[in-house]
Amino acid sequence: MRLAAKTRIQPSPKAAREDVIVFLVGGFRFAISAAAVKEIRGMEGLHPFTLGGISGQIAKLKYTLERGGTTYFVVDAAQHFQLLPSRASRVLILRNSPAAVLVDSTDRIMEISALHALPRAFTHEERGWYRGLAVMNGTVVPVVNHHAFLNKAELEVLRAGLERVRGEVMA
Amino acid sequence: MTANADKSYVLFPLGKKRFALPAEVVTELARPDSVQTFPHQTPLLSGVLVRRGRIVPVCDVAQVLVGPAAPPRKFYLIANCKRESLQELTAVPVTGECELASAPFAPLTGREPQYISGLLAIGEETIEIVVLEKLVSAEVPA
Repeated sequence: MRLAAKTRIQPSPKAAREDVIVFLVGGFRFAISAAAVKEIRGMEGLHPFTLGGISGQIAKLKYTLERGGTTYFVVDAAQHFQLLPSRASRVLILRNSPAAVLVDSTDRIMEISALHALPRAFTHEERGWYRGLAVMNGTVVPVVNHHAFLNKAELEVLRAGLERVRGEVMA
Repeated sequence: MTANADKSYVLFPLGKKRFALPAEVVTELARPDSVQTFPHQTPLLSGVLVRRGRIVPVCDVAQVLVGPAAPPRKFYLIANCKRESLQELTAVPVTGECELASAPFAPLTGREPQYISGLLAIGEETIEIVVLEKLVSAEVPA
């Protein structure tokens, strides 16, 4: 006799208070954990990213930014979320990461009290883009997965490209 | 072949055609609500609704069942959809009032798409019974 597989009901949202920074890209509102952001700044000091061969492989990588002796790779959030080009005006420098994110504007810091899992009906790239969904004053706002702006594979491509360029310079 | 007398179906309209879902998977018929959108890449999903504190994905199956010419959707039929052993509510936009019915089965032709599990014969009308789990992952006809 076969037993029917148990079917579980979708879980309730995780109750977890967290400060998030709300930002806008292409007319959409997003949130990112405030703990993941080291600094919010303007567009000054950005240098176009033109590392031979890599620019084409990671098209969303637009600029680099030198800050306190560290090079940050600046990802265009509109391109990351596959939106139409938008008018970026702010850069979110991520903490413990070589990535920074180009966004249209930042809105405010808010506290969310629950993080809803992204419904399983969403099956494509967005499963990597978002940690979950928050409801802010009745509006659903995706909370981004900041590790996805430059994922491990993309960082590896960058690392290999930089080593290659360093090798060429040394030679 | 006749349907089990206990088995009820919710008949929902999409334009001129009606389709059926087993009543046991349907939880409610909701009035129009504001669908909220955010960037994603999953076909058929038009956004989410917030219903009683839960976030419910909206799956516009009319694109698969009747094509792009479906009239504006007026209500949301909210049903349980099984995904990877997890029951998840899914809102299906429909174009008019729904009806609860029991009816005899009509014979399948064998040419039905995978998301059709049976046919109901109601008067002159043959109504396709849809399997929501298979329908939401169906490809949109070009």
